Amino acid sequence: MKVRISLAALAVTALVAAGCGSSNSTTTTSAATSATGTSTQAAASGGGSGSCAASIGIEAPLTGQVAVLGQEQLAFAKLAIADDNKANGTNITLVQGDTQLMPAQATTVTQQFISNNKIVGVVGPAGSQEVEAVGPLFGRAGLAFISGSATNPTLTTSGKNPTFFRTVSRDDVQGPQDAAFIVKHLHPKALMIVDDQEVYSTGLVSSMIPVFQKAGIKVDHESVSQKVTDFSSLVAKVTPDTTVVVLPWQVAANAQQFGKNLAEQKKNATIVGTDGTFSPSAFTTAGSYVSSFGPDITAIPADASIVTAAKAAFPKFGTFGPPIYAATHVLDEAIAAACKSGTPSRDNVLSAVKQTSEGTSILGQPIHFDTKGDLIDAKWFLFKINQQGKYTLVTGS
Amino acid sequence: MSKFIQELVNGLTQGGLYALVALGYSMVYGVLKLLNFAHGDLYMVGAFVGYFVLQWFGGPTALVVPVPIVLACMFLISGVGVGGLGVAIERFAYRPLRDAPRIAPLITALGVSFLLENTMLLLFGASYRDYNTSAFIPFSTGIHIGGVNIWIVQIMVIVLSVALMFGLERIVTRTQLGRQMRAVATDREAAEMLGINVDYTISATFFLGSSLAGVAGVMAGLAFNNIYTLMGFILGLKAFTAAVVGGIGSIPGAMLGGFLIGLAEAFITGYVSSTYSNLIVFGILIAFMILRPTGLLGKVQLQKV
Amino acid sequence: MAVEPKESPGVGVDEWVARSAERKEYPPGWRGDVQRQFERVGWWPRLGLAAAVGVFIPLVIGLNSFQLQVGIDALLLAILALGLNVSVGWAGLLDLGYVAFYGFGAYGYALLSSNQLNPPNGIHWPAYFSIPLVMILAAGLGLAVGWPSRRLIGDYLAIITLFFGEAFVEFVNNVAPTKLGGPNGIIALDPLHGAHLQITTLTGYFYVLLALLVLSMAVLHMLDTSRAGRAWRAVREDPLAASVMTIPVNRVKLLAFAIGAMIAAMAGTVFAAQQSNVFPSNFDTPYLILIYAGLILGGAGSMSGAVLGGLLVSIVLDGFLRSPNQSSYIFYGVILITLLVKLRPWSRVAIVIGGTIVFGFVAHAIVGAISSTAVAGTAGANDWIDLHWAIVPANPVTFGNICFVALLCLVVTLTQVKGWWRTALMIPTLYVAACAWEARLSQVPAITRLLLLGAILIVVMAWRPAGLLGSKRVEVV
Repeated sequence: MKVRISLAALAVTALVAAGCGSSNSTTTTSAATSATGTSTQAAASGGGSGSCAASIGIEAPLTGQVAVLGQEQLAFAKLAIADDNKANGTNITLVQGDTQLMPAQATTVTQQFISNNKIVGVVGPAGSQEVEAVGPLFGRAGLAFISGSATNPTLTTSGKNPTFFRTVSRDDVQGPQDAAFIVKHLHPKALMIVDDQEVYSTGLVSSMIPVFQKAGIKVDHESVSQKVTDFSSLVAKVTPDTTVVVLPWQVAANAQQFGKNLAEQKKNATIVGTDGTFSPSAFTTAGSYVSSFGPDITAIPADASIVTAAKAAFPKFGTFGPPIYAATHVLDEAIAAACKSGTPSRDNVLSAVKQTSEGTSILGQPIHFDTKGDLIDAKWFLFKINQQGKYTLVTGS
Repeated sequence: MSKFIQELVNGLTQGGLYALVALGYSMVYGVLKLLNFAHGDLYMVGAFVGYFVLQWFGGPTALVVPVPIVLACMFLISGVGVGGLGVAIERFAYRPLRDAPRIAPLITALGVSFLLENTMLLLFGASYRDYNTSAFIPFSTGIHIGGVNIWIVQIMVIVLSVALMFGLERIVTRTQLGRQMRAVATDREAAEMLGINVDYTISATFFLGSSLAGVAGVMAGLAFNNIYTLMGFILGLKAFTAAVVGGIGSIPGAMLGGFLIGLAEAFITGYVSSTYSNLIVFGILIAFMILRPTGLLGKVQLQKV
Repeated sequence: MAVEPKESPGVGVDEWVARSAERKEYPPGWRGDVQRQFERVGWWPRLGLAAAVGVFIPLVIGLNSFQLQVGIDALLLAILALGLNVSVGWAGLLDLGYVAFYGFGAYGYALLSSNQLNPPNGIHWPAYFSIPLVMILAAGLGLAVGWPSRRLIGDYLAIITLFFGEAFVEFVNNVAPTKLGGPNGIIALDPLHGAHLQITTLTGYFYVLLALLVLSMAVLHMLDTSRAGRAWRAVREDPLAASVMTIPVNRVKLLAFAIGAMIAAMAGTVFAAQQSNVFPSNFDTPYLILIYAGLILGGAGSMSGAVLGGLLVSIVLDGFLRSPNQSSYIFYGVILITLLVKLRPWSRVAIVIGGTIVFGFVAHAIVGAISSTAVAGTAGANDWIDLHWAIVPANPVTFGNICFVALLCLVVTLTQVKGWWRTALMIPTLYVAACAWEARLSQVPAITRLLLLGAILIVVMAWRPAGLLGSKRVEVV
């Protein structure tokens, strides 16, 4: 027994040493690496192998309550990297970091990425509150991070997140435009607006309610948690003159269920959803309206191959995947450009991202970032779902 | 008035599901004094099993056999399957800890819960699966009087939960197995000395409790359409609450607690406020527990000195 | 280790109690020797030793920012487990809302150290004001939550505390969003500051937390060896007997709640200061589960167990399992170590390991002969193993899933059979485990992390139900 225990102890110490050793090799080089990308970086990032090797990190809720969103983002990020590696001949790898949408975990994952000096760019995190938590950290490390779903306006206006970019538009663009459309074209006398107790939702609600109140519409503001999957109690509150229900939600399947509850209780209210509910496979309630920043990529011929690959990887995707594809693509191109003139480092990837100028993208629009990190000229589309459950464009550039 | 009846039916539907899962909690607690936190995840597994049975029969829009047969198969396969899973979990994870301090199996149950949730996530992915029940049981089937619209699926959930509860009560009070369960719950050592096969009894208890959770999962899928891997987490907490509020260890109590919580949620959301509904429900339950600590139908435990 | 009584039974001296040290069970062999020596050293020097180790780790090993963050998270979890130990381990009260006190401390600090209240200047109190104030308020809250425990026992108290925990998150998420931040939380908090000192670096927070941990352990040790500690133990074992012996049972329970709450709030304030923000989602039930896992894994009832459990759970979960390479080491390493330690005699170990290796090559060759895409092996984690030993098809997802399910079934069967069947079954089990790892589990580190956590919880509890450092309770019939 003594021999066994000592053998086991030896094995454990060997394990720990090996484990710490493999992370220490990144430590010693990270200590030497400064934000200006010195020559040690060249030695560290597999230099001289001929192909352009670097890593991109992804922070997303891969498990937990909203795993459906994070896994969609992961699938699209993997797709983008595979496509770009083939197109540019690079050797970019993806490092996954699970945040479960909790800012404390996002901080830990961010520190993990910052300490891993192979990582020269990050996509994500998914939630606005996570960006608030990790923005200053990325800023201090000079590491560019592009989010595909953080829509809170203050993230770019506060100036606290200097290396933050996003491939989606902001709540203060989508909210008022959706509200204006409802007032002008749907003329409800009364409406119900339900938030899902998350930042995305409450932000949109607070930008929409003033528009409704100014138009003299009676507003019933309700709230329900994202974890709930049945809304019969809320639907029973829909009065006969409530002709519009606004659902600025992130989980499209929940919007679908709300629609079913409306049909079940024979209420004739039109659902208006925001981009979180945009999902041609998950939300198909006839007669509903959905706004989005990107066109329906399934309807863009140029995206056909991506759509087939995406459907194979993640059949019921919505709007969380394509912006991450775009974000990953931006980083891939920045890395490829940096490789042409040397080795990719956080610094030259960051400046390449700032100067991004993609004429077209999976989102059907060019990608340029302004000085604060917002997408310039982000478009707004409004779709209506017809009787067959297909999305038809109503208005939008 | 129609809103009142609507909320009543909504509350009873949701409450029926809470009650079924709470029954399983109560039974397992009764015989093992174990709070099985993995119970909610068994409900989730049942929902997925029902979904795959539905797909096997052609999917919601193209069923190859009549609807009653599909429903019966879903309930049976899910009930038996999840029951068997419950028995396997008990044998593998809880049996070694039968004589351990009470707090240790709590952690094992948490471990089992993590394993179940993430195995389902690994195997089937994070996407919500949609039963799309209205495609094969249209909304028009049901009771539609005045402004009240009650779908037949809601009626089925309520009726089936009550029926299952009565069936369980029958088993526990009238059959040999029930007597053995009650004996083991009262005093395990004495039961063993009387010649009762304790292992078999405990396994049977787990089977019954888990199969109820499995059936509840299928019903949840039918009534609420969307199923996903973490749906059992919240429901498990609420069902545990229902079991305690009704008096833990008591079967009619679990039933009553489940319906009460479902009704409270529905009425408070409908009449008071949806934003604060959870808070208010918690407040009421706390007040209730302070006033009646042993729960509604719980037995006041006499302590022997 | 006989303790000779000075005189034969004097009045008021119970010989059975006086000689209780002789009856203490030590594990046989060298482990008992180590334990006896350890206990001779005395508690305070041991604490000093542990503190010294903690102080020197960042200095000697040189941790990078990720490792420091993991260390900070680990120390926070250790302090929380320590505080929970007071309610659960010492007083025997199941507190399922503990994480709410943590959140209360964090939010309290946030409100007193930011621009949230009283805009535009806000309130910016120094830490030596705000932290004790928050702790005292938390103690009051703990008393309020513990108040129903007068009439409730065990699981009924658990429910009330569970409600309280859930209610807290709902409250800060939905009530008074302008004051409490709502889902947006409160950001831009001051770092810990006071008396011209400011803690802004990760190393600084690491040391602050280490100091707080040592301080808490010292205070709790003094409580443990005092009347309060004895009262808690008595209440835990048998409340009725304790009340007969004039222990004020209710007050003792309330004291346990209050002290646990204070420790959690203290940890919460430092957490808020280090993160520089608070959000409701940080204080939800999943984190409570981690605290419990740490406490019970380490051994409820034992302070060092609580600390060790908290450190271990946090470091393994956050530090090791987050990176795929290190998870591979842990996966293979733990399997090898278990084999080495548990299997006897040596010939059996050799048979199993050798058999697995041979089995692997044979299986790989057979499957390779049937279909070459089935062993393309490009998708796995370790190239050589994937190409030559394990079966990793070009499209590994379905195969990996099947391997995983097969692994679960095999492991369950393994525990139910005995003798030579068990040894024989181990070989395919190990091989299937390796295939499942290479083909599927290593590709989804986020899910694998939680799967391994679940497996670790189950296995450790089955192996040591009292926790790693808990003591087996000797029952006197």
